[in-house]
Amino acid sequence: MNDNEIEKALATGDWGVDTESALARFRLRAERERVVPIVAAPRRRVATGWIRGLAAAAAVVVVAGALALSGAADTVLKIFEPKQVVGVPVTQSDVSYLGQACGGLSPQQCLGAYGTFAWTTPPQPKEVQTLSLAAGAAGFSVQTPSSLPSSVTGQPRYGVVNQSSATYTFSADATRQAAAKQSRTIPPLPANIDGARLFITGGPAVVQVWGAPANANPGELANIPTLVVGQAKAPVISSDGVTVAELQSYLLKQPGISPQLAAAIRAIVDPASTLPVPVPAELAISHPVTVQGVQGLFIGDNTGIASAVVWQKGGMIYEVIGSLTEAQALSVANSMR
Amino acid sequence: MEASSVTLPAGGREGAGPLPAAFERLFRGEYARVVGIAQRVLGDQGEAEDVAQEVFMSFYRAHPADAPYAAPWLHAAAAHAALNALRARGRRSRRETAEAMPSDTLAPDDPAAIAVATETRDEVRTVLARIPERSAALLALRYSGLSYAEIAQALDVRASSVGTLLRRAEDAFRREMK
Repeated sequence: MNDNEIEKALATGDWGVDTESALARFRLRAERERVVPIVAAPRRRVATGWIRGLAAAAAVVVVAGALALSGAADTVLKIFEPKQVVGVPVTQSDVSYLGQACGGLSPQQCLGAYGTFAWTTPPQPKEVQTLSLAAGAAGFSVQTPSSLPSSVTGQPRYGVVNQSSATYTFSADATRQAAAKQSRTIPPLPANIDGARLFITGGPAVVQVWGAPANANPGELANIPTLVVGQAKAPVISSDGVTVAELQSYLLKQPGISPQLAAAIRAIVDPASTLPVPVPAELAISHPVTVQGVQGLFIGDNTGIASAVVWQKGGMIYEVIGSLTEAQALSVANSMR
Repeated sequence: MEASSVTLPAGGREGAGPLPAAFERLFRGEYARVVGIAQRVLGDQGEAEDVAQEVFMSFYRAHPADAPYAAPWLHAAAAHAALNALRARGRRSRRETAEAMPSDTLAPDDPAAIAVATETRDEVRTVLARIPERSAALLALRYSGLSYAEIAQALDVRASSVGTLLRRAEDAFRREMK
């Protein structure tokens, strides 16, 4: 097949486009969706608060995949194993309401208000010198981008998070006491959830980092502005007495869950196999994309400064995050081999 | 970017609010080319126009129309969005593909020629979805008429590398087409 034959194969015949009709269609949609155009040139490759937040979100996903299970009894049932990822828009109001509902507690303290969380094997991030050492430490084949935008330069640094495990035990007493201490009212923990345990498993995880400051801790992704590629064994949560549907139902009864957030959570068709990724509604856009032949999630900020692509494939969760356009982020993601 | 999931009216209506003049200039200047790139990948003009609308909307939401990278951004986004749509839509029936083909490219009274051409076009789309993303994007951009310099800008590679990358892409395409 020569060049002419390739040309012929890709030919689409004679066709014409009606640009004015297309522009009218665009105008109508922009008006209907009240899309506000960007007028100022966005800054590129700048470590802003947003990219730090996005990096933190990456850390959540990757570290969530770095939790591991040990010693599960026969009665333990797997209740959560993500097969796909979806974006859940979370507004500043949601964050504010949730903060009030927890009496100003941090998310970890808030979690503690419903029971006790204990590491069986805590995550211990460490840096290694090569990709093969990272793969050896993780125990799986690590994918790396085969092409990078020209804005990403230099050699990457590699971080590995070990396989680790944790248990969370729900407690009606703890829930009552925490509520009384904070002078707030929350629905009582259902009897079937009281005493139930969650065994959280996942990991190991590998992060590849371009543009990391020399003195940065590879576990602190907030220090890394250019490009982060994460790969982790998908987290699995098992329980000896509670289902995801029961947990979802109880979560939706909590004060501070806005109708919009509740609707987004309810819209997750299969919560037992869907990893929800919080997306700051005021700062970012998100939509499904096809990555490596599967459905993933694109998250981009409204100014084009940073973006992320998250997807799940073959029991692994992958994430590409950095100061990239959507096309670049998808190109990096699709080039991973 | 799921072009096939977007339902929009075919035409506009009077009264829709104006867009920034710079954006309208960009749209008028690049729309046909963006559709052309998507159509090389998808082989379907309607679907290519849906992809083009999504590409311009993504740009409009996130970038200023006078950004120096506007055109290369649109070209690259058109190729990648079309490849995403191609992978997402699954295999189309031969009949749909035949209907999507321009009538002037085939002899209307030659069923055998239509069948062979349809099969080839199906295979072309399958191959584009299968070869590496960057190779497929390169082919779509090059055979849509972009210069090496324009391809380099769109795909963020050195202009001096485009020839080599294109040859590799064509080799990959030929191997898969065999």
